[in-house]
Amino acid sequence: MNDNIVITDLARRFGRFKAVAGVDLEVGAGVFGLLGPNGAGKTSLLRMMATVIRPSSGRLRLLGRDPGSYGPRKEIRRRLGYLPQNFGHYPSFTVAEFVEYFALLKEMPPQRIPAAVASAIERVGLGDRARKKLRTLSGGMLRRAGIAQAIVNDPELVLLDEPTAGLDPEQRVAFRALLRELGQRATVVVSTHLVEDVGAACTEVALMDGGKIVFRGTPGELTAGAEGAGAAGDAPLERGYSAVLAQARATAAAAARS
Amino acid sequence: MTGGDRMVGSHEDVREQPPGPGDVDLGRVWLRIAADVWRREPGWLERLAGRLLRSPGLARALLTTPSLLLPWLIASVVVFGAGAGAAAGTGQPLVALLAPVVAGAGIAYAYGPGTDPAWELSCSMAVSDRMVLLVRALAVFALNAALGLAASAATGAAVAVTFSWLVPMTAVCALALAAATVAGSANVGVAAGLAAWLITVLSGEVVAGRFTVVVTESSLVLPYLGFAAVCGAIAWYATRIPRGTA
Repeated sequence: MNDNIVITDLARRFGRFKAVAGVDLEVGAGVFGLLGPNGAGKTSLLRMMATVIRPSSGRLRLLGRDPGSYGPRKEIRRRLGYLPQNFGHYPSFTVAEFVEYFALLKEMPPQRIPAAVASAIERVGLGDRARKKLRTLSGGMLRRAGIAQAIVNDPELVLLDEPTAGLDPEQRVAFRALLRELGQRATVVVSTHLVEDVGAACTEVALMDGGKIVFRGTPGELTAGAEGAGAAGDAPLERGYSAVLAQARATAAAAARS
Repeated sequence: MTGGDRMVGSHEDVREQPPGPGDVDLGRVWLRIAADVWRREPGWLERLAGRLLRSPGLARALLTTPSLLLPWLIASVVVFGAGAGAAAGTGQPLVALLAPVVAGAGIAYAYGPGTDPAWELSCSMAVSDRMVLLVRALAVFALNAALGLAASAATGAAVAVTFSWLVPMTAVCALALAAATVAGSANVGVAAGLAAWLITVLSGEVVAGRFTVVVTESSLVLPYLGFAAVCGAIAWYATRIPRGTA
């Protein structure tokens, strides 16, 4: 089996609130989009995949390993690139220092780090800012510094939570090209509520609502979901998103009534 | 072209085109130059720490601890507050015994989800966040001990807190980190550190002839039971079988 992510009946509770309510998912190499409205459970699912929080129940295997055990979790983390939604940084670090710091924490061989840092910074287009303090960068540039630290170790599993937040349209187009390039070698999961990102970069997509996956397919299949539904949206994919979401909610409501 | 208007920009374009015969792959050349120009040479202290801790990442975390200003200030205030209580000579060994727990909680908060902006990111790293926390604790105590020694040379007011709290706790943190590095487990390091502090405090009580009071004083039974319960809860939490794993 070459699925880098295998999830079975995964759930996560915060007190009484069930953020993720029984998700089953297998994802192999390529760019996988995780769509859904705010509060759908995308970030909680991504944080479990990033080994930041533990599941409340269910099974999770990443890169063929069990993240619940110390040794395998360490191996997963060495091969992981993660950009959190609330990406924090150290304002007094330069871009190069920041990327290098996380390369060291990922336990990359020290002799490989300078070249890897230079490559990651160039790939996100921050070459001319490499020696600038993070406090001097704009929001979009900070996001790109975050992407640079995520890809510095040439990860096999890349998890990006709202990566295009703060990027201008030109940067978003360039970022999608980077995503496609990453997806040729790695499993890339992108959580977003911007459907155009998914349409442009993802080979497969899942739609989450209420902590569950209510649709899984290609962006084309999601677009096809709008046919005859008269859903709202400016672009075909947006209409597909709205139609599939409305249908899933109607089905859930009907199930709850019966 | 500036970095603000490109991503996967001209460098990648150049790199993706294989050079022809006699051509120079400018992308690769530039990457080598950039790697050299942006390379940060670790100082002797970082290299030494890297060797001792068997981890360049931990050594970097150790050296960067004071530069994270807000967490540093919060941690230092808590450490000095706990130290002042421990050095006050209340006659209650429990105060001295609990002081490291208070200081540890303060450092964990300051360099944890409380104020560390990159905490979420740090939690997904191969270097254990608990090991990072241990090196942070050592850095906080060691630098404050150095400040305390300097202050002690200037005024006698700093002597008590420096020599009965900051210096011994620096040694305890160093011992904890050494044990954690050898055992490969931060939990083992914390246990070793707490045991060393317990022995230090109780030895002092024995020397002062107060050890039997520590053991037989009935008003201390409840706090002892509470402390034991907390230790039991921590042990249970640390060794529980996690749910949701294969």
